[in-house]
Amino acid sequence: MRRLLIFLMVAAALATGCTPRPGGHIVYGLTLAPSGIDPHINASSELGIPLTSVYDTLVYQDPKTGEFVPGLAQKWEVSEDGKVYTFYLRRGVKFHDGTPFNAEAVRFNLERITSPDLASQKARFMLGPYERTEVVDEYTVRIVLKEPFAPLLDSLSQVYLAMASPTAVQKWGSEYQLHQVGTGPFIFVEYVPGDHLLLRRNSDYAWGPPVYQHKTAQLEEVEFRFFTDPATRSPALESGEADVMGEIPPQDAARLQGSKDFRIESVAIPGVSLMLFMNTARPPLDDIRVRQALLFGTDRKAIISAVFRDTSPLACGPLTAVTFGYNPMVCEFYPYNPDQAAGLLEQAGWKDTDGDGVRDKDGQLLALDLYLMGWGYMPEVGQLVADQWSRLGVRVNSQVVSYPEALKIAQEGRHHLMPFTLSGSDPDILRKFFHSQAGFNWAKVNDPEMDGWLEEAARLSDRDQRADLYSRVQTRVMESALVIPIRDYVNLNGVNNRVQGLRFDAQGWFPWLIDVTLAR
Amino acid sequence: MLGYGLRRLLGAVLVLWLAATLAFGAMQLTPGDPAQTLLAASGASAEEVARRRAQLGLDDPLPVQYARYLADLARGDLGVSWLHGRSVGRMILEQLPATAELALAATAFGTLLGVALGLLAALYRETWIDTLATGLAVLGLSTPVFWSGLLAILLFSLRLGWFPSAGSGDLRHLVLPAAILGFALSGSVARLVRAQVIEVLRMPFVMAALARGLPLRRILLLHVLRPAVGPAVTVVALQLGFLLSGAVVTESVFARQGLGRLAVQAILWRDLPVVRGVVLVGALAYLLTSLLADLLQAWLDPRLR
Repeated sequence: MRRLLIFLMVAAALATGCTPRPGGHIVYGLTLAPSGIDPHINASSELGIPLTSVYDTLVYQDPKTGEFVPGLAQKWEVSEDGKVYTFYLRRGVKFHDGTPFNAEAVRFNLERITSPDLASQKARFMLGPYERTEVVDEYTVRIVLKEPFAPLLDSLSQVYLAMASPTAVQKWGSEYQLHQVGTGPFIFVEYVPGDHLLLRRNSDYAWGPPVYQHKTAQLEEVEFRFFTDPATRSPALESGEADVMGEIPPQDAARLQGSKDFRIESVAIPGVSLMLFMNTARPPLDDIRVRQALLFGTDRKAIISAVFRDTSPLACGPLTAVTFGYNPMVCEFYPYNPDQAAGLLEQAGWKDTDGDGVRDKDGQLLALDLYLMGWGYMPEVGQLVADQWSRLGVRVNSQVVSYPEALKIAQEGRHHLMPFTLSGSDPDILRKFFHSQAGFNWAKVNDPEMDGWLEEAARLSDRDQRADLYSRVQTRVMESALVIPIRDYVNLNGVNNRVQGLRFDAQGWFPWLIDVTLAR
Repeated sequence: MLGYGLRRLLGAVLVLWLAATLAFGAMQLTPGDPAQTLLAASGASAEEVARRRAQLGLDDPLPVQYARYLADLARGDLGVSWLHGRSVGRMILEQLPATAELALAATAFGTLLGVALGLLAALYRETWIDTLATGLAVLGLSTPVFWSGLLAILLFSLRLGWFPSAGSGDLRHLVLPAAILGFALSGSVARLVRAQVIEVLRMPFVMAALARGLPLRRILLLHVLRPAVGPAVTVVALQLGFLLSGAVVTESVFARQGLGRLAVQAILWRDLPVVRGVVLVGALAYLLTSLLADLLQAWLDPRLR
């Protein structure tokens, strides 16, 4: 009996082991209940947090160098005219349901994404001027574009253009999003909308990209839960309900950072900074002196420290500092200088003639309409800005509106100022905001030269040439005083110290769960 | 009796039609273009947005859209969510059990607590017990759920570790959200029960029962509480709207599944099929509860039969 007991103890010790081995279960807190989670259909960033590990993409982007590295495609060629991309696929890759991955699967996926019936909200548009996909042979596939589109590889490296099992897609139809099947390091086990999503380790995984550190996943299971109320995120982490939690509010992050059991992993997100767009088509903001005065009169440092507790970098220009093509020169524009701001307003003819504290001109008050959305700390930022400008003699009428309302207001040009922020690793994102025909042209800019730079940069494949063009765009945006940049977006992830090896992809949002381990 | 049932059924159909029409009209008045809302962040061109608008049927004249919507409804088809790309009926069925569970548990807890507080306050009228019970009732009525919920999480999950702070599933997950929502509900019940009990206690039949030497507990349970609780049942049934709106916040605070969060998201994204579906389910719930309340009240107070 005693011998048996000793044997059992030894066996147990061996089984648990001292060296880390695959196993364990963590709970990962998401911050939105995703609005549908089919990456080909839906657009939320939240869906990519779990699904990046369910799927593989043709290429991957190394977040350190920005270079593209092989994924499901071992290598690729781009034709001279930039319109044909040929991908040589990896052999021996199988979807979780046993379906083999091949050129036909790539064609199936891209046709699904571009089919009007699918009504894709994001993936379709990431393919730009896509024309068709050709199967050359079982492991060679060609993507043909109508015109050159430089961001294509960046798009193909994201989960929205990930490769799904054709068998599963056909089997489940519109319910596919509850039964997703990829080739990735984790298998999609179940999704109960609004409650949880469960992933389990794929032990057959052997085709990871070079950016992954392990061959197979180190955790047995990852469970995702949805914490939509920001105030409850830190308590859930501290009570052990979650091991990782995204978007911790800045004031809670400061407290967690001081604890011995938790840490904050702050990830800078590439894309367009949080900035106030100034409507250059609506007086008095059609006068560049007034716009420049607002830039000089905004104490951004004070906003960063009051609203973001210094957890976010101050934004200098339209791109966040970690985005490819970012031009650091923009930081020299418009340092906080209320005297210069007041001087510019005087020059533009705005003086406080009746001594009521608000400047006026020809009987008109210097009053600006600021529309804010309820998320991303916009109301807090708006309040501080209004307060700072009131000292300049500028009155701000601010109002919180919903996103659809904001879009409508912007389209009709009823705003003076409206903030926005958007993530994305390719600087082509600037085209969505500063091209005269752009949907988000909230500054109402119409600069043919800038349109030309943006269009050309989207076609060129040479990285240096692109960076140069985007540099010019950023300088022009600041010279023309189109926006007031506030903060670079940072995702504050609260992490239980037992969780190790958490790294994020080039988008900054999507964790590479394959390398996550549990400390013993 | 048959005529009553028929009238009631006709009334129900009318209410459902009104709710459906109201949901249709209200979303027409809400500013914002659904196609633009869905596609703006993708950088879709104006033509692509226009194409999607046509695809969603939003270019058709309003009467055509309305007729198509009613025809679909008559077939029991709630349509496909514009945002999720899934069947609205399925999405609602997924979320309904969690919301029903929370609403029932909160109603049960809130009614019990409210009756107990109201009874205590009435029996010990104008003593410190009355003050305390009435005070609790007012606190329940006036504390917003997002705040009391957070306090409950900090105390019972983080400090004491008694209950999980998040998720749905087993009973342990239900305790805190049901208690918080129920507490908010108990206020109005308590105030009503207190007033009713005080009124009934003044009635001659109570005096007569006491004079006959019946024990006080028996009088309270059999003769006072039953008629006093009757009106409270109607109040509880009328609180369904409050319960559903409270559930939205409770679901968010306790990271639970539920219709509330689905509805809020749908409204924010102008996902009309989902909004309409949830409104209809809400109307249906109202009809069922008011029917149930009528039956229950008739059982509790024989004078109404």
